[in-house]
Amino acid sequence: MSKRPFLGWFASPSILIAFAIAASFLAIVQYSLRAHVPGSLNPGGLTLDNFTTLWKAVYGQAFLNTVLLCFWTALFTLLIGYPLAFAMVRAKSARLRSAILLISLTPLFLGEIVRTYSWMIVLGNRGFVNAVLMQMGLIDRPIDFMFTMTGVVIALVHFTLPIVVVMLAAALSHIDRNLERAATSLGAGRVRVFATVTLPLSIPGIVAATSTAFAWTFSAFATPQMIGGGKVQTISTLVYQVGFASFNFPLAASLSLVGLLFTIAVLAIFNTGIRRLEKIGAH
Amino acid sequence: MSSEIPRNTPQDSRQHPAVQIDGVAKSFSGTVALEPVWLKIRRGEFLTLLGPSGCGKTTLLNLIAGFLEADEGELFINRDLVTQVPPHQREIGIVFQNYALFPHMNVAQNVAYGLRTRRVSKAETAERVREALALVKLEDFADRRPRQLSGGQQQRVALARALVIRPRVLLLDEPFSALDRNLRTAMQVELKEIQSRLGLTTVFVTHDQSEALSMSDRIAVMSRGRIRQIGTPTEIYDQPQSRFVSTFVGDANLFSATLREKTTADAILEVGSTRLTLSTYQVDMPAPGPVTLFVRPEQCVLTDSGKPDAIPATVALSVYQGSYAELHLDCPSAEGGRVMLRVPASQALPAGASVGIALPQRGPAIYAREDDIA
Repeated sequence: MSKRPFLGWFASPSILIAFAIAASFLAIVQYSLRAHVPGSLNPGGLTLDNFTTLWKAVYGQAFLNTVLLCFWTALFTLLIGYPLAFAMVRAKSARLRSAILLISLTPLFLGEIVRTYSWMIVLGNRGFVNAVLMQMGLIDRPIDFMFTMTGVVIALVHFTLPIVVVMLAAALSHIDRNLERAATSLGAGRVRVFATVTLPLSIPGIVAATSTAFAWTFSAFATPQMIGGGKVQTISTLVYQVGFASFNFPLAASLSLVGLLFTIAVLAIFNTGIRRLEKIGAH
Repeated sequence: MSSEIPRNTPQDSRQHPAVQIDGVAKSFSGTVALEPVWLKIRRGEFLTLLGPSGCGKTTLLNLIAGFLEADEGELFINRDLVTQVPPHQREIGIVFQNYALFPHMNVAQNVAYGLRTRRVSKAETAERVREALALVKLEDFADRRPRQLSGGQQQRVALARALVIRPRVLLLDEPFSALDRNLRTAMQVELKEIQSRLGLTTVFVTHDQSEALSMSDRIAVMSRGRIRQIGTPTEIYDQPQSRFVSTFVGDANLFSATLREKTTADAILEVGSTRLTLSTYQVDMPAPGPVTLFVRPEQCVLTDSGKPDAIPATVALSVYQGSYAELHLDCPSAEGGRVMLRVPASQALPAGASVGIALPQRGPAIYAREDDIA
């Protein structure tokens, strides 16, 4: 380090960021341990009441909702993202590859609000999807997407797709094509090559992408808030409600803290999974 | 294992070829990778495709394997037309440069892979895997993961995996290039032993001329998408038919010369002011005019500088090599101005000494001056 002193200067912004994160985290921890004084924005004395309050059905339900939402979103994102990533990595035409990349990355370029609003238009009772289905006579009355879990999952899948596609594409592009060729020369057809070589070797990538999708969805706010419309409560919408509608900052803080710890726990579990797989030699 | 694989007796070689390539060609988006090639590979033959990178040897290998589709031409394996047959039905064994062992399977599972795709029974699979591992001396490594093995061991597993399916042809794609020198020689000997014991038709791709010379029954020297010469290692080394082959395989001394006269067997040339009469083995000799004269270093003999049929030169550098010395000579008639000779270490000469280079009457070859270098 002493020989390249400028590196220290390069690192200085990261110290600022780390400081900011640590400060806000400590603030949340501090708030979560303070009593709520109704009618005041300032917290009261030290207490553990906030965490006992969380032991209520409404919060448990929000927790369950969030986990379910994360699960379904991760599952469907994976089911859509894997073929997309595969096509992106393996397409022979460079133009097709960049088209897939562009399509899967556009959600990132739109703001979350704009994107969610578009989904509200598409999924509404008189929205695009219902209009088309009714026009075709497939349904008599509109399907309820708005204010339902289904609608939130659909929008969240779109929201999560880019990172999953990019992560899976990275994993798939690292698979040695000679392994597939070797399997082919040994008599395996395309399906068998995929099932016995490509898929097993992409499992670490799948696990990594799933865990990221999980955390990504867990922290989503605008989508469940707008499409769920208060009917689908998640941790983040509840934090918003408790904190900015009831101004109960201490309870909001403790809710955030529990959510954060849960996310860390989930990521840790996924991580051990990956390390196990690597030990076996899957990648 | 050897008892179950049909062995090739000499009369087999008089029957149909193991691989027949009829005018197979391949281009990639307009760039010709392989000009139409005709080639018959005999049963049990060890044939090497030798050439620099980009010469088309790997393209030809991939066409035989079926990983590439030929633009034109037909390919036969054991008389079966396989041009349109997908790679997984061609019954070909391949050993890749990086071995391409399945990292998520252990050694036994790797070797068993080709038997599982063929729905061989469990008992027979176990027996054949054991035999194949015994063949490459890895019986005790069945439960290991590929990453726990050395490079040489990984290569043996790759070989066992390719052999266990009893392939009609074995393809080797630069399999030794990742091994260090000592191990490489050991593996070459071992592979060659197994190959000839099983009488296995083998196509070997390499850019290493010494590897090609030591292992092959025949060598096809390739450059720029064409087979430039095909023959036994001796024919390729002793009678290269083109300047490219002469310089790519072995060391070569090249002189600028003028061809004055040629008869059916003899050629009269001038190298500088030296007049030489040579008899050559060449199929095609260029027309009289400026030519390139090719001689192997070991065919050149040092004499006095005054002799009329010796090419004059001056010693520039003597490099001691133990049993012999390499003499680097400045020679105005040589292409590039330098000639290299090997002499017994005791006969090494000091720099600046004037010498003559005498050429044998048989051995040198004459190539057209414009004959390509690549």
